[in-house]
Amino acid sequence: MKKLMIVLTLASLLAFAGQAFAHSPLMSCFDNGDGTVTCEGGFSDGSSASGVKIHVTDGGGKSLIETNMNQDSEVTFKKPDGAYMVIFDGGAGHTVEVNGADIVE
Amino acid sequence: MTSTPILVALAGQPNCGKSTVFNLLTGARQHVANYPGVTVEKKTGSFSIGETRVELVDLPGTYSLTSYSLEERVARDFLLGDNPGVVMDVADASNLKRNLYLTLQLIEMEVPTILDLNMMDVAERRGQKIDILGLEKILGIPVVPTTAKRGAGREQLREAIVRTADTTRESVFRVNYGPMEPYIRELLERLKEEPLLSVQYPLRWLAVKLLENDAEAMDLLGRNHPDADRILEATEAARSKFAAEEGNEVERHIAFTRHAACAAISRKVVTMPTERKRSLSDRADRYICNRYLGPIILVAILMVLYQVAIVFGNWLALQVWPAWGALEDFAADVLPAAGFMDDPLLRSLGLWVVKSTTAILNYLPIFFLLFSLIAILEDSGYMPRMAFILDRLFRRFGLHGQSTLPMILGGVYVGGCAIPGVMATKAIPDERARLATIMIVPMMNCLAKVPLYLILIGAYFADVGGFAMFFIATVTLFMALPVAKLLTLTVFKKHSSAPFIMEMPPYHVPTVTGVLRRAAERVWLFLKKIVTVVAAVAVVVFVLINYPGLTDARKAHYAEAEVKAVDGFMAEVEKTGYQGRINRDDVLSIILFDEALKRAKQGVTDQEKSNVINQRFEVRNPVYYAVVKRVGGDGKALNRAIKKVNRVRKQVRRESRAERFETSFLGVMGRTLEPVTQWAGFNWRINIALLSAFAAKENSAATLGSIYGLDGSQSVQESMKAGESGFTALHALALMLFMALYPPCVPTSIMVRHQSNSTKWMLFSIGYQTLLGLFVASLVFTGGTLLGLSGFQAMWAFYGLCVAVTLGMGLIPVPEETEATPVITAICKDNCS
Repeated sequence: MKKLMIVLTLASLLAFAGQAFAHSPLMSCFDNGDGTVTCEGGFSDGSSASGVKIHVTDGGGKSLIETNMNQDSEVTFKKPDGAYMVIFDGGAGHTVEVNGADIVE
Repeated sequence: MTSTPILVALAGQPNCGKSTVFNLLTGARQHVANYPGVTVEKKTGSFSIGETRVELVDLPGTYSLTSYSLEERVARDFLLGDNPGVVMDVADASNLKRNLYLTLQLIEMEVPTILDLNMMDVAERRGQKIDILGLEKILGIPVVPTTAKRGAGREQLREAIVRTADTTRESVFRVNYGPMEPYIRELLERLKEEPLLSVQYPLRWLAVKLLENDAEAMDLLGRNHPDADRILEATEAARSKFAAEEGNEVERHIAFTRHAACAAISRKVVTMPTERKRSLSDRADRYICNRYLGPIILVAILMVLYQVAIVFGNWLALQVWPAWGALEDFAADVLPAAGFMDDPLLRSLGLWVVKSTTAILNYLPIFFLLFSLIAILEDSGYMPRMAFILDRLFRRFGLHGQSTLPMILGGVYVGGCAIPGVMATKAIPDERARLATIMIVPMMNCLAKVPLYLILIGAYFADVGGFAMFFIATVTLFMALPVAKLLTLTVFKKHSSAPFIMEMPPYHVPTVTGVLRRAAERVWLFLKKIVTVVAAVAVVVFVLINYPGLTDARKAHYAEAEVKAVDGFMAEVEKTGYQGRINRDDVLSIILFDEALKRAKQGVTDQEKSNVINQRFEVRNPVYYAVVKRVGGDGKALNRAIKKVNRVRKQVRRESRAERFETSFLGVMGRTLEPVTQWAGFNWRINIALLSAFAAKENSAATLGSIYGLDGSQSVQESMKAGESGFTALHALALMLFMALYPPCVPTSIMVRHQSNSTKWMLFSIGYQTLLGLFVASLVFTGGTLLGLSGFQAMWAFYGLCVAVTLGMGLIPVPEETEATPVITAICKDNCS
């Protein structure tokens, strides 16, 4: 039994080392051309991303907009001035970042 | 020589280059089937030597010919039942001592054997010299050196086949079992009394096997000897007498004698350059198999494995995803176009099947890494050591040392996937432990269960989130171990269990090509088996969640919403210059045009490229383009209008889908089950979410989301709390535990079916986990309610219960435990000092 405890302790250490998710988060963003940007989210297995947190930050990482994916796994926000990042935050290992510079019309 | 074909069986231990020899002889013309009734692959091919046809059958690679593992049994049954004219034993010349173990058993079975010393190049490179003639003289069978990889030795092999098939020469070599010989002689005399038996089977072999307590040999005797019971009694008496006199179990004695014979032969015929390598292995084992250091090294290796296969694998999967995404887009393009509310059946079913398949294909990089790593562990020689270190612990629960890897992959803590976990059970040689492992791997915390845990913990255990996560992450192991033990003591009682006899091969560095080839082969096998089945299952699930469909009244309700939305858009059109150029039929087309444009630009990060795509779409339909891309004042106005229509369309599609789902066969099932599940605190809505999770675990969170009708402003937790006012932390705890024990998802179930080779076990696995889950959830919920415990108190009361049961279960002896344990220590002591 002593051995069991040793192994278990070590196993939990091992598991803390990294958490990841077997399905991949996905997000693609489009510039609507009217001063807004729409991002569509989802997961590789077809799961809905509704309710997932979306952070929009400026070039320095300062938070500009905090919102959630709507029921259709979409989010539309006013395009910030200057550099920005859109972060899809579905919890540990579930994050996708899209650089504003890569979002084109 | 007559014109009747010669049946040649190709035997050999794993990694001796058997397949290469097969290809060398047949020119890679092969036919692959399964051995009757089992999933072991049977590869056959044929070729001619002069006038004579030769049928070559590839036996499964086995270290030995006991009846412990499926592969060994298949190989042995073939040798006994199909009477091959020649058995070609392929041996790794660079590892003669280990490979002779099988050769001696073949000789003992008195089958006409040729020893093919393959991989002579490796032996030479290692500076070993093998006295071929000397070996022939000792064993009394033809010995042919080959390097099949380079095509060397083909003619000699063919010549030896003809020569051996012609003669009925028997081998002169006999393993001398020393103090056991009188017992063998005595048993032989009794067996000889039945003349038919001696014609059919090699009696000395049978006698040794009977003394070895071999289940299949006893079976064989029962079928063929009128006085089998008396002989078995005598055998049993002889076994106990031998054990008492020699202070050694018969099985151990036999295994040791054979190993000693192999070592003696190999000492005589092989000239080693130096003993450096072997002694290096021994020195390494002093640390790796060490009582205290061993487990630490093991955990470190598993940690690397986990990091590479799961963490890096996930990253890699994400990089590869665009390929599968393109497959989905391609399917979306070629299938009939979408409708406003309903899609044509061909489209919705087609997309569903493609989606289900890509969801699995997404794991492909993980599998490839995983299989490569397993191949490295196997080739390097670490695998048997890992099994050795953990065997003692796991055996207490009816598992096997090699159950470690499947459990890690399944998510012993948090974060695995049951599919590769179940798949990895293939390596477990002990059938009973293998089944037990298959049954508990789905109880581990696979990643897909995590989103639901997060939702529930966030909503009901927010202030003690860390503890709650620790609870659910570790309690599963304490539920799985007792379950494994319980299954071993009950339903698996009759299944054979193998004592842990495993020779520790010397370490060597695996080759890149060898590892990649093996990984690619396994991935291919996985694809062939899983993807086809997944497609079939997807169709069934599709029907279950979509039919019988909406009533006409509801359809009319949604159609009305569509008409109203289109009316609104057309009213806007009337106000613009597009009046007359856009009519009602164009509305859906514009929406689809917009979607197609977005899909085309997905992943494009360069404005130049984006412009090119825009231009292409503008040429295709300038009017639609103007609306979608807000060209001019009219375009801007209509863009706003079309967005409104699109919102209505999405809403209609979403709501009708949820409604269809709730009234579907699966949804009805959820309502029907409410009287049973109420004891666990589940209402019909939760039942539906759980049922849909069976298709894929991830669905539970998504379904709960759609059922609780959240919108952008609220998170699932919040709307769940609001929607279910009577829902308490105790409910949430019961739900989490049920999810932990919940039956494997469809792809895992299919994997269980493949690995256990039985639909019965798959259904059992689904059934017992459902009942167990329901039982545990009811125990916690109803018990907690009666005792007036809060969710958090119930959590730890249950945890304590599980730990206590695990410790208690570990103390109940498994039937064979007592005799299996000494074998491990003795064999390993030999190698691990």
